[in-house]
Amino acid sequence: MMATAPRRQTLPAGEPDAEHRRHVVSALVVDRPGTLNRVSGLLRARSFNIESLTVGTTHEPGKSRMTIAIRGDDGHLRQVLAQLERVIDVLEVHDLTTVPHVELELALVELEPPDGANGEARLRAALDAAGGQLITPADGSWRARLTATPTEIDRALEALRPLGLRRLVRAGAVAMTTTAQTTSTEIGDPRE
Amino acid sequence: MTALRLPDDQPPSPARTVAPRIGARAVCEALVREGATTIFGYPGGTVLPIYDVLREFPLRHILVRHEQGGAHAADGFSRATGGVGVAIATSGPGAINLVTGLATAMMDSVPMVAITGNVPRALLGKDAFQETDIVGIALPVTKYATVVMDPDEVPLAMAEAFEIARSGRPGPVLLDFPKDVLQIETSAPHPEPHELRLPGLLRPVRGDVPEADELAELIARAERPLILAGHGVQIADATELLRQVAERSEVPVAHTLLGIGNMDETHRLSAGYAGMHGWMHVNKAIQQCDLLIGIGCRYDDRITGKTSTFAPRATIVHVDVDRSEIGKNVRTDLGIVADAGDLLAALLRRLPQSEPRTAWLEQIAEWRVVSEARSWHGSGAWREGRLSADYVVDRIGEATNHAATLVSDVGQNQMWAARYFGFRKPFHHLSSGGLGTMGYAVPAAMGAALGAPERETWAVVGDGGFQMTMQELATLVQDQIPVRIAVLNNHRLGMIRQWQEIIYDENYHSAELLGPDLVRLCEAYGIPAWRATKPDEVDGVIAEARKAPGPALIDFHLDEAQNVYPMMLPGKGLSDMVEGGAE
Repeated sequence: MMATAPRRQTLPAGEPDAEHRRHVVSALVVDRPGTLNRVSGLLRARSFNIESLTVGTTHEPGKSRMTIAIRGDDGHLRQVLAQLERVIDVLEVHDLTTVPHVELELALVELEPPDGANGEARLRAALDAAGGQLITPADGSWRARLTATPTEIDRALEALRPLGLRRLVRAGAVAMTTTAQTTSTEIGDPRE
Repeated sequence: MTALRLPDDQPPSPARTVAPRIGARAVCEALVREGATTIFGYPGGTVLPIYDVLREFPLRHILVRHEQGGAHAADGFSRATGGVGVAIATSGPGAINLVTGLATAMMDSVPMVAITGNVPRALLGKDAFQETDIVGIALPVTKYATVVMDPDEVPLAMAEAFEIARSGRPGPVLLDFPKDVLQIETSAPHPEPHELRLPGLLRPVRGDVPEADELAELIARAERPLILAGHGVQIADATELLRQVAERSEVPVAHTLLGIGNMDETHRLSAGYAGMHGWMHVNKAIQQCDLLIGIGCRYDDRITGKTSTFAPRATIVHVDVDRSEIGKNVRTDLGIVADAGDLLAALLRRLPQSEPRTAWLEQIAEWRVVSEARSWHGSGAWREGRLSADYVVDRIGEATNHAATLVSDVGQNQMWAARYFGFRKPFHHLSSGGLGTMGYAVPAAMGAALGAPERETWAVVGDGGFQMTMQELATLVQDQIPVRIAVLNNHRLGMIRQWQEIIYDENYHSAELLGPDLVRLCEAYGIPAWRATKPDEVDGVIAEARKAPGPALIDFHLDEAQNVYPMMLPGKGLSDMVEGGAE
C-alpha cells in the first residue's frame, strides 16, 4: 500500500442521540498481534460491554474481519466507531445496523437425553426452529449445533431450556452486508 | 534505571575494528534520517546497545534525571520546534516512567517517538528482570505502540513510527525493542516513503475543501460571528492564514488554551483566551455569537462547561482533521473534516472583503473593559502589599518583549500565564492542556530551550508542580540549558486551595504544601536564584535572571489566598461564571 495514498474519513457529522439498541459492527483490520487489544481496549475505555466479538481471516491475506455485536446509544457508538476508525491497524469500520445485512451465529448445545418419544419430538422441533442439527446422538450424549440469527438462537434456547440444557457454547455473531460492497467507512447517518 | 545483572547478556564487544551494523545502529541511523538532533534518555540494561553506539552519530543525548522528565522534554522539544521529539528509556520501570509523558503528548496531539528496550526475545513473558509489557501499558495513551521482534524490521518500524507520529493528527508512538533485536546484525535498508506499510493510517485529503462554500455563506449571513481557534491551527502551521481570514471576514478570533499564539494578542481582531478561567468578554462573545467556527479545537469541557448551555444562539461549525472529534462534545451544525490550513486557505479563496462589523466588535470591546478591570492587578500588589501573580507574569512578558517561549505547569500558574503573559507568536506557549500534568513545566522547558535556543525560555510553575519534577535541575546544570524558572510560590496547591475555598466551603485539606528553601536548593545545584516578595522587587530579579548564561530560578512569594478569576464552577456553563472582582 502506498504510504501517500490518502484515506478520507467519511463518517457524517451528527448529533448524539438517545436511541439505545443493538448494533452489529464490521471492522476490517490488519492481522497482527495487538489489533484485538486495541479494538477491545477502545470499547472498554468508553464502558461499552461487548455482546460478542468474532475475528477471522478474510479472502485477502494479512487482513482479518471482526464482527462486533454491541449495545449502545446511536450517537455514542457512532463517535466510538469514528475513534475506532483512526486506530492504525483498523482499515474499515461499518455499522451494519442501518444497512441490509445477513447475520448468523453458531451455537453448540448439550442436552439431557429426551424422556421417551414425545420428549424427543419436542426436542427435535425446538432444534428445527433454529436450524439445529443433532451431532452425535449415537454415543448416548445429545449434542446439537444451531446455526441461525442470534435472536432465533435465543428463542431456540428458551424452548430447549425446559427440556434440559446441560451446556451451551456460542460463537458470537458474524455478519455481512447484502448490498454492493463498499470500501469506505460507513457508520450510518442519523439524519437519514 | 541502571541494572547490571542481566540474564542472557551478550559479552562486551572486543576492540572494534569493523563495527557490525547491529539493530542499535539501525535505530540511530533512522533517528538521524528522520532529522533528530537532540534526544532525551536514561540508560538501562536493555538499551545499553544503543548507548554503546550513540557516540558514532550526530545526536546530542541529554541525560535526564527521570524518564518522565525525558518524555516531557521530548514533548517540549516537539512543541517549540514543530518537529518530532525523541525519548529513550530502558525496560520495566524506565519504560513505565514514560507513561505520564506519553499520555500528556497524546491528549495534546504532540508528535513524539519513544524508544524502549525490553528483555531479550527468549525471555519475553517470563517475568525476567525489569520486564514489563510496556506496549500493553502504552496502548491507550499512544497513537501507536508496538514491539519490534525482528532486527530486519528495525528500519521500517522506525520510519513508520515517525510517519505515524507526525501525520494527520499527530501523537506519540512507542517502539519497544527486545535487547537482542538491538544486538543482532541486520542489512535491512531504510525504506523509501512509498515502502511504508500503513494502510490504516488516516491521512487528511489535502487541497481545496469544497465544504468551505457553505461556511463562507454562513459567515456572509452572520451578524455576530466568532472563530474559536485551537491547537490544530498551529499544528497545521496556519496562523498566518488565520489572521488573513479574520481580516478578510472581519471575524474576531477567540482561542483555546493550546490555541494561544494563533494570533498576536494585540491584533484588533484577537478576542483572547476563552474557557473555564478565560476572559469574561470572550466567554460572553461565545454565548452571544450567532456563528461559532471552531477550527482545530476539541470543544473540550474546559472550554464549553455545561454543553447544553454552550453558545446557545450560535450555528456551531466544527473543523478538525480528526473526524472522531466532530459531534463528540457539542451539537454541530456543520462539521468539516479537514486540515486547518487547507480549510483556511479554501475560505480565503471564497471570502470577499467584509465590511467592518462595528457593532459586534464594539460590543466585545465594551465587555473587555469590564472584564479586564475586574481581574487585573496593575499595581503589582494583590492585597496588603503582597505580590500579585498576574503582575509577575505580566512583567516577565514585558521584560522579554513577549518573545520568550513560556512553558507553564498546571493549576493557577497555568491560568495566570495564559491570561497575562501577552503572547504574540505561535509555538511560544507550551502547556499540558488536555491531561493537565503537574510537573510538566521544568522538563518541557528544558526540551523547548534546546529545540529553540534562539529564544529565551521561561518555565512558570507553582511550588507544587515544581516539586514533582525538580530533579531535572541537575540536567539543566549538567547540560547548561538556559531555562529561567519562575516559581509562583504560595506554599499551597493553589488551585486545590481555590476549589476548597469556593466549592468545598473552606474545608481545606492537603492544600498546604511544605517546600524547600528554593534559593538554597538552587545554591546546592549551583544555579543562580533570587527571591521576590514585593512588587518593586520583580523587575530587578527578572533582569538578573535573564543575564544568567545557564539556568536560573526566581522564587516569587505570593499570598496564598489569591485566586484565579473568573472561574467556571463544575457543572456550570459559560454564562454562569464566578467573578472575583478587584479585591
